Amino acid sequence: MTEIFDPEFFSSIARLTTPILLAALGGSICHRAGIFNIGLEGFILLGAFMAVLGSFFANSAFVGALTAVFGGLFLSIIFAEFHLRRKGDPIVISIAINILALGLSTYLLRSIFKVSGVFSHPEIEKIPHIQLPIIENVKILDLLINDQSILFYLSIVIVFILHYFLKYHKFGLWIRVVGENPEVLKSSGINPVRIKFLVLLLCGLLCGLAGAQLSISNVGLFVENMSAGRGWIAVVAVLLCGGRPIPLFLLIILFGLVDSLSLRIQGLGLPQQITELLPYIVCLAVLIIVSYKKLRTFSRIIY
Amino acid sequence: MKISLRDITIDYDNLRAIDDLSLEFHEGEIHALVGENGAGKSSLMSVLYGLNLNYSGKILFNDKEIFWSSPKDAIQHGIGMVHQHFMLIDELSVLENIILGYELDDALGFINFAKIQTEIKALLKLYDINMNLSELVTNLSVAQKQMVEIIKLLYRNAKVLILDEPTAVLTPNETEIFFKTLRNFRLEKKIIILITHKIDEVMSISDHVSILRNGKLINSSKLKQTTKKKIEEQIVGKKLPKLNVRRVIIEEQKILEVNSLRLSTRFSHSQPIDLFIKQGEILGIAGVSGNGQNELIESILGVRKVLSGSIEYLQEDITHKSTRYRRIKGISFIPQDRRKDGLAIKSKVWENVITINLSDQKFSIGPFVKKKSIKNYANQLINEYSIKVDNLNSSVLTMSGGNMQKLVVARELSNNFPLIIIENPTWGIDVGSIAFIHQKILDIKAKGAAILLVSNELDEIEVLADSAVVMYEGNISKRITKDIKFRENIASKMLSGVHFTENING
Amino acid sequence: MKSKEILKILHPTIEIFYAFFSIFILIFLLLYLSDANFSLAFKGFVNSSIGGRNNAYLFSTFSKMALISGMAIAALVAFRGGLFNIGGEGQLVVGGFACAFTGLLVSDFGFIGILISIVSGMLAGATWALLSGFLTVYMGVPLLVGSLLLNYPARFITSYLVSHPFRDVQSGLPQTFLLSKNIWLPYFPNTRLDLGILIIFFVYVICLIIFYNTKHGYHSKNMGHSLSYVKLSGLPTKKIVFNTLALSGAIAGIVGSIAVLGIHHRFTDGMLVQPLYAWTGIIAALLVNLNLWFVPLAGFFFAAIYTGAAGMERIAQVPKEIATVIQAVIILFVVGKLGSLTNLSSSKGDKDD
Repeated sequence: MTEIFDPEFFSSIARLTTPILLAALGGSICHRAGIFNIGLEGFILLGAFMAVLGSFFANSAFVGALTAVFGGLFLSIIFAEFHLRRKGDPIVISIAINILALGLSTYLLRSIFKVSGVFSHPEIEKIPHIQLPIIENVKILDLLINDQSILFYLSIVIVFILHYFLKYHKFGLWIRVVGENPEVLKSSGINPVRIKFLVLLLCGLLCGLAGAQLSISNVGLFVENMSAGRGWIAVVAVLLCGGRPIPLFLLIILFGLVDSLSLRIQGLGLPQQITELLPYIVCLAVLIIVSYKKLRTFSRIIY
Repeated sequence: MKISLRDITIDYDNLRAIDDLSLEFHEGEIHALVGENGAGKSSLMSVLYGLNLNYSGKILFNDKEIFWSSPKDAIQHGIGMVHQHFMLIDELSVLENIILGYELDDALGFINFAKIQTEIKALLKLYDINMNLSELVTNLSVAQKQMVEIIKLLYRNAKVLILDEPTAVLTPNETEIFFKTLRNFRLEKKIIILITHKIDEVMSISDHVSILRNGKLINSSKLKQTTKKKIEEQIVGKKLPKLNVRRVIIEEQKILEVNSLRLSTRFSHSQPIDLFIKQGEILGIAGVSGNGQNELIESILGVRKVLSGSIEYLQEDITHKSTRYRRIKGISFIPQDRRKDGLAIKSKVWENVITINLSDQKFSIGPFVKKKSIKNYANQLINEYSIKVDNLNSSVLTMSGGNMQKLVVARELSNNFPLIIIENPTWGIDVGSIAFIHQKILDIKAKGAAILLVSNELDEIEVLADSAVVMYEGNISKRITKDIKFRENIASKMLSGVHFTENING
Repeated sequence: MKSKEILKILHPTIEIFYAFFSIFILIFLLLYLSDANFSLAFKGFVNSSIGGRNNAYLFSTFSKMALISGMAIAALVAFRGGLFNIGGEGQLVVGGFACAFTGLLVSDFGFIGILISIVSGMLAGATWALLSGFLTVYMGVPLLVGSLLLNYPARFITSYLVSHPFRDVQSGLPQTFLLSKNIWLPYFPNTRLDLGILIIFFVYVICLIIFYNTKHGYHSKNMGHSLSYVKLSGLPTKKIVFNTLALSGAIAGIVGSIAVLGIHHRFTDGMLVQPLYAWTGIIAALLVNLNLWFVPLAGFFFAAIYTGAAGMERIAQVPKEIATVIQAVIILFVVGKLGSLTNLSSSKGDKDD
């Protein structure tokens, strides 16, 4: 047992949770605003690549995070152009964005860095980690949340800000309204398209940061198709929580926990494919349980 | 204050919705805008409210021309609109719904709920309105929702109230209370524009009446200078054929019997429902929409689970049978929402004429369909029901509402099934189609079908039904049989929900 | 008024020009980033998508076209019934593995062995699709996410199987043993093009018949346009859902089988995932706006982009992923013309009172 639950296990939870959490927060505001954005996978992937790009050339993690955000915003603008202005189906656009990000990041990796597969370089500066002296004495907290990247603490703050923002801020109110019925907002004199555009930009920003956390917080490298399904787990989490930040946070901690567990039990001799599958199985299981419970409360027979 | 619309014309693609129309509205006046569905009433008002910017013509405020770029401009000029479909979000509180778009906020944009609350409470006191501001809208009755819409306008300080079919969802009693509020507004020198298709209401409350037909203004005059008969004629434009009502002997055999049925979800605490329909009988279920009629129909059709009780069709207990089983056994269904439940509107016309009977030898052989015979059959229906359609291969989407409904009616009635369930069959269609469909319903009854007719139009129940019950909050009233005071008896049952429940419990 | 009307008439032309212009600029930018020689790149693209000695490249385009068209048909079958099955990848992988596995067992039976292998691929693909259908109908899991999440077990489990129990250890790669030549799909005479494309053509014809001439096709189209209408009409919705998904999954399984029996002759980990066949198929189905008749055109188009890009990589050192980027951008430009595909698009599910 100690083999699994060593310090590395505890500290990996926060590290693995952060990218999914940031992307899911972006996805959740889209969900609340009635935009069915299932392209989070692509957003994260391009963000991760752009982070490495920025960090490598400027030799600065801050610039890396900034370029990652630009990557996210770039996809947001594409999403907005084709969904809001040209009225395209959001599912199709999401699929296209996933493919676009996969193609673009791999293409740029090969054409700019002239490598395929993996790019790592000592000049990629990593996002600084923070030591909180106050909790150093509480062993479990120290293990869990000390010495994490800035983005981890930021993502936790965002969870609560978003919660209050949606509830008490006027823009938050508009987001909730536009998701339920854009016509209502329109008849109150507010342009629903503008709200949705801002929401998409916010989502791009958060997903960009998610990508940065993935590629330049601990490892400082980019791998082809690095997001590897994390975006889809975020999508499922958003769906399950109906876009509410606090339950989303808790659910994603669960996923992060399983993620780090699967990483640890690899050391026990289980084949890598099976341990890597674990997070998806848990995700699917939660999805089935929640959906089935919901189905039971339905009195209408759908099929 | 005075608002004038001058030479307004609105074109949708190839359809002229409003044709060179001019109107004036004066303060302290209730101005009724009447006309049948599709006459252009709502299109006209969406121009005045800034929702539709694609028009030609002028809007004048006290003889000064003004331009909107969005409803926000209209609202700032004191114009408020209550839409036919409420512009409310069920999941939000009453307060959040009222302040939407006009939030008092601090420097960071966070809403000052406390301050707003006191402000609105003062407003409620002024107009003597009762409303719990922190309640979720989803828990409100329809009349209360209507009131939230009105408070929304008051909060925004509206001087012009545009009300689109406000009474469609109200019981007669609630309508009376609502009209009282309107008269108060009239005293406050507000301009009230009332869109309606109920002539009785026009006669009882309005000061000025304008009649629209096919996007043209037929007449606009003081109420005193016209008569009910004149208005009726102007709305329709032509005389309608009289319905041919044949006397049908109602057989003793009960086709459908519903025994102590308890509906699931919202109406689970209502009284159990008992109903029966005999062969050759039309049973009307009157009442305002949303009182459980839809749930009852869905339960009978088997797309909704029931809590307890039984449904018997031709002496067979079908309570736990599938929808498929029931439909094949011989239940026809004409739904209210033809675009979603009655048709696959993006499919072609001929693809919409066959449902469960596709396996008939006439239409298929083995797994293969006989396209030719289906198309022939479609043509037969189209001729028989005089449905206007470009081409069998064009999508249903290209048809008008009336013709879509005729297609559904044609398909469902041609089965000649013993039981037909009909839900608001004339909702949102033109007068000609209404008369046609009514006649077809009477004809099928004459052939011996049992018909369950749900309708929120009292006129429709009065014309078609042999007996009726009223549905309110999931409860069903005693059966009212057809006699001289049929209409009055139904209306009195609808009068008040409270009164109604007491009746049942007692 | 006049200028407005002229604009309205010109609108489609402007749109097309706008799309082409944007894609052209994008390609230019991408090529610029990889320091490519433009004329060399162009030559490489054209030559390798439709040229080559003895039309070798054209045949490789045809071979790709078979797989992409097959996956497009698989996606289209489901989409037409309103079932957003985007788990084609999982169904393809499972089908491919099942075919390779069976192929190793029945390699002595020649032609019959080929048939058995393909059928087992079909069955595996159909089973995988039915699994997501089961989750949707009986568990209330939205098909979109349910079918997608099932991609991962398919991918990881087959990856495990070919890395451990069924691995051809000597080859050094995570893959099964090479199939015996007995059950390779034969080539067209004097070419390196296998008969897989004929099988896909056969599937295409069968699907055309199912779509336009059978009871299932009649009902499933209506279900795609309004589930509640079909349900209320008393049609067997569950049966239609399962039949549609089984067909869709089986076709994906056939595609996997063709890739195994016709091209690779074994199952290698990632060989069906990496080239994005399933996703390209979905895009191709969307490009033709779910009109089955035009699927071969879209399939050829995308296959040509693929092999062209591969040629560009060979000749001008332009990474071949440019093909993926171009495909994504093309679908973005047609998406506005497609209209809403399913009622799934709204993020709120069916709500009860």
